[in-house]
Amino acid sequence: MTKAHSIQGEHFQFHTSGGVFWEEENMLLIADVHLGKAAHFRKNGMAVPDKINQTSLNRLEGLCQTFKAATICFLGDLFHSEFNHEWEAFKKWAETCNRKLILIKGNHDILPAEHFELMKMKVLESLSIRNFYLTHHPEEHKEKFNICGHIHPGIRLKGPARQTLKLACFFQETRRLILPSFGEFTGNFTIKPGKNDQVFAITPDEVILVS
Amino acid sequence: MTRESLLEKAEEWFSSQNWKPHSFQTECWHAVLSGKNGLLNAPTGSGKTYALWIGIALMNLLKTGNKKPAGGLKAIWITPLRALSHEILQAVDRFNSEFGTGLTVGIRTGDSSQKERAAQKRKMPDLLITTPESLHLLLSSKGYKNTFKDCNAVVVDEWHELLGSKRGVQTELALSRIRKLGDEVCIWGISATIGNLKQAREVLLGPGTAEFNNSILIRAALKKQIHVHSLLPETMERFPWRGHLGLHLLEQIIPVIQNSKTTLVFTNTRSQCEIWYQSILSACPDLAGEIAMHHGSIDKASRIWVEEAIRSERLKAVICTSSLDLGVDFAPVETIIQIGGPKGVARFVQRAGRSKHRPGEESIIYFLPTHAMELVEASALKKAVNSGKTEKRIPYLLCYDVLIQYLITLAVSDGFKPEVVLAEIRHTYCYRDLTDDEWQWILNFITLGSQSLRSYDEYHKVIIDEEGRYRVTSRKIAMRHRLSIGTIVSDAMLKVRYMKGGHIGMIEEWFISRLKPGDVFTFAGRNLELYKIKDMEVLVKRSTAKSSKIPSWLGGRMSFSSQMSELLRRELYLVAKNEEDTQELKALKPVFEQQQKESIIPGDEEFLIETFQTREGYHLLCYPFEGRFVHEAMASLLAYRISLLKPISFSIAFNDYGFELLSDQEVDVQEIIDNELFSNQYVHSDLESSLNATEMSRRKFRDIAVIAGLVFQGFPEKQLKSKHLQSSTQLLFDVFRDYEDNNLLYLQAYRETFEYSLEEGRLQKALERISGQKLVWKHCSKPTPFSFPVITDRLREKLSSEKLADRIRKMQIQFGK
Repeated sequence: MTKAHSIQGEHFQFHTSGGVFWEEENMLLIADVHLGKAAHFRKNGMAVPDKINQTSLNRLEGLCQTFKAATICFLGDLFHSEFNHEWEAFKKWAETCNRKLILIKGNHDILPAEHFELMKMKVLESLSIRNFYLTHHPEEHKEKFNICGHIHPGIRLKGPARQTLKLACFFQETRRLILPSFGEFTGNFTIKPGKNDQVFAITPDEVILVS
Repeated sequence: MTRESLLEKAEEWFSSQNWKPHSFQTECWHAVLSGKNGLLNAPTGSGKTYALWIGIALMNLLKTGNKKPAGGLKAIWITPLRALSHEILQAVDRFNSEFGTGLTVGIRTGDSSQKERAAQKRKMPDLLITTPESLHLLLSSKGYKNTFKDCNAVVVDEWHELLGSKRGVQTELALSRIRKLGDEVCIWGISATIGNLKQAREVLLGPGTAEFNNSILIRAALKKQIHVHSLLPETMERFPWRGHLGLHLLEQIIPVIQNSKTTLVFTNTRSQCEIWYQSILSACPDLAGEIAMHHGSIDKASRIWVEEAIRSERLKAVICTSSLDLGVDFAPVETIIQIGGPKGVARFVQRAGRSKHRPGEESIIYFLPTHAMELVEASALKKAVNSGKTEKRIPYLLCYDVLIQYLITLAVSDGFKPEVVLAEIRHTYCYRDLTDDEWQWILNFITLGSQSLRSYDEYHKVIIDEEGRYRVTSRKIAMRHRLSIGTIVSDAMLKVRYMKGGHIGMIEEWFISRLKPGDVFTFAGRNLELYKIKDMEVLVKRSTAKSSKIPSWLGGRMSFSSQMSELLRRELYLVAKNEEDTQELKALKPVFEQQQKESIIPGDEEFLIETFQTREGYHLLCYPFEGRFVHEAMASLLAYRISLLKPISFSIAFNDYGFELLSDQEVDVQEIIDNELFSNQYVHSDLESSLNATEMSRRKFRDIAVIAGLVFQGFPEKQLKSKHLQSSTQLLFDVFRDYEDNNLLYLQAYRETFEYSLEEGRLQKALERISGQKLVWKHCSKPTPFSFPVITDRLREKLSSEKLADRIRKMQIQFGK
């Protein structure tokens, strides 16, 4: 289910759910959950199944059980749009999860600050830890290695006899790691990696380095 | 005036134009005046507009007697193409003013301005010419019942065009409402000749309804001879085995154009249209100013200019697409050229009929094959055109998506009572078998967004008020709905405009989004340089660059009808028996010889399977000659059945002649034969499983989701803030598969895949036919002429029974930098 990988001498585990466990920090990194997206659609008259949100929360809880991390850091786009009842479900989970919660604000995170304060979630524009610089949008940092989300990276693979596959992936460039989107009901953007980039494709059972 | 004196006066008017009414015209007048409904089977250019409009006008004059007619809508004329509305308006106006009916006529389509619409809202013309979409928009406006209260006639023009599409269903629904709101509405359809005219009348009027029982079918017995000439290459040696442009025969069509007064050149796609226009101009610069282009993406004003120019004999040739298939009477058109296979007899006959629009004159059509195999089509068409046999248009059944859209439309305007609407729609052909459960499901879907009430849910669309009326109260939802009415799903379109002003047309967003400023592309026959995209407009300037990109519009991938497939097989059987009887088949001799060197030409007792290996992998080809829809289904069925024998991955391609399964592993054909993998047993369940593995239903779902309002495409021109409401239909399909696989709309996608691909069990019939044939397996050393067009097709389905991780290990990443 996981793939161990080291960046700048520190140790990470890439999980098939799209989350990353950072061993030195005892921290879970999760990008682009887009909670509340189904309810936002439904509020506007589009009847998307409403069980999507609960699945995302269940997967979140599952990931916490697997890694016993002390901190969960969301790399932006935690909640899809304006307030709706699905936030309440998340809040309930957050109150019982017993972990330090950090949100690095993404372009979709337009909820007023009090919602985050109520659940004691720290909201930041970016976060620097030693050699690492955590953001939502991909950034170029002079000294530090950037870990971010936003793109929802996917990879297109080509095989013999005109076979092709498209899969969500972790995308690592020389000075940056982009996480896949964690949420259900979110799409992928097909990236075009360069020769020096590393791509980890996600399948239901394993994370596979494909470059 | 009495009925007789009115009829007399109408005949006098005809004489004053130096015309003599056809018997079908006077039959129609009498039928309308005696309150009948019906279907008129008449080709374009036969005077069908006068057949019905005069009847309706006289009926209204008879009703009002000597009084001045009261204002307001009396009759509706539904046309599938906006372009036709002006033609109809002119004909109707001419009669109205010269006869002195005192009746007014107006147009309401997507092209009508806000001002025109507002003026109509204050005062409707007596006759409104409109499209199915615009008619539904009228049903979505407040107080619409009042608009239709004096309506006493509806004509559905070119009904055969609407019949086999969801726009036909839309028309059925609009009729079901209007016949209840109006004043003894008589309903008429006009259809070209199709294989199921009887059914066409039933769909129009509703099976078993009082309207249907009081209806007749009137046929215009205007037989026209069609003459087909194939343009053949000088030598077959350099004639391509595949390709779809046909430019190698450019030299041959120039003299045809020069020797004829006006020529219409029909192409199958808009990009082909653009390319041919450019090529003719550069081959024969003298024609500059005398040839023009006409297709659906070109600005309306230019299209109208072209149509006018044809009529006033200012053009030698027009390169066009199906945009000129219908209506529009062009007397000066002498010659038709069809580039590439028309895919069906009816379409070919219709296009041929665009020339020499005078009864009794022979129509001439030139057929230009774009690759060798199309000459077989030409040979088949030649025999078919004068046989009178044409395809059926199969009506859609139980379209939940269109029904949901319609119910919201009614909820947006004045609200609806379910029992009233249910009674109305159960009289339509499409929904006569709608069950109570399905109806309840749909009502739940639009009110609850699911099948049970959940306490926290904030779903908001249709509410039920105290009187039990279903209504939309949110202005935002109402506005979004009005913007989305329609059943033609297309990509977002952007306006193309010169920097200095001047509209050129509309272009698909996905094409333009791949260009950078400075790139040159061909559009509307001009080379244009992209300057920038601003406010959802594409600003361009003229370019003199030689090379450019040409937008490829999707679509144009039509399938052979079953008639056409059968005709084609018959031609090939002749070749197998060395009985070639047309110049087309004889010209193909070198190609057939090549085919026979490696393989065979199957006769009616044989079913051909070819295998060979190339750098790409192992190719397996089968040739049922049943048209691409059936081949698509049969290919996934066979791929699925093979994949049960061992883990294997296929990439699948198909065309109208056969299909290919390509794999990195060799397939043992003997195994296919031994395991009876072409068996017609368990077809339904096997196909269902194979559909889950391919993209077919996913693509069908795209249209359904948009029509039912599950996705909002966003409207570039309207600048709505809708970013957070956009999702891809692909994503939605997955979500339904994972969370709500009993959703009727999701199930509809599967059903439509079946019905469309199978066309009344065409797959089943094909498999039965094959089971009686001898399977002939040829292992070839290289690709054959039959296989070439298929194996070079890039659009492919995938099917695999290998483990994902195993597949990945064989694959390579696509590097971009």
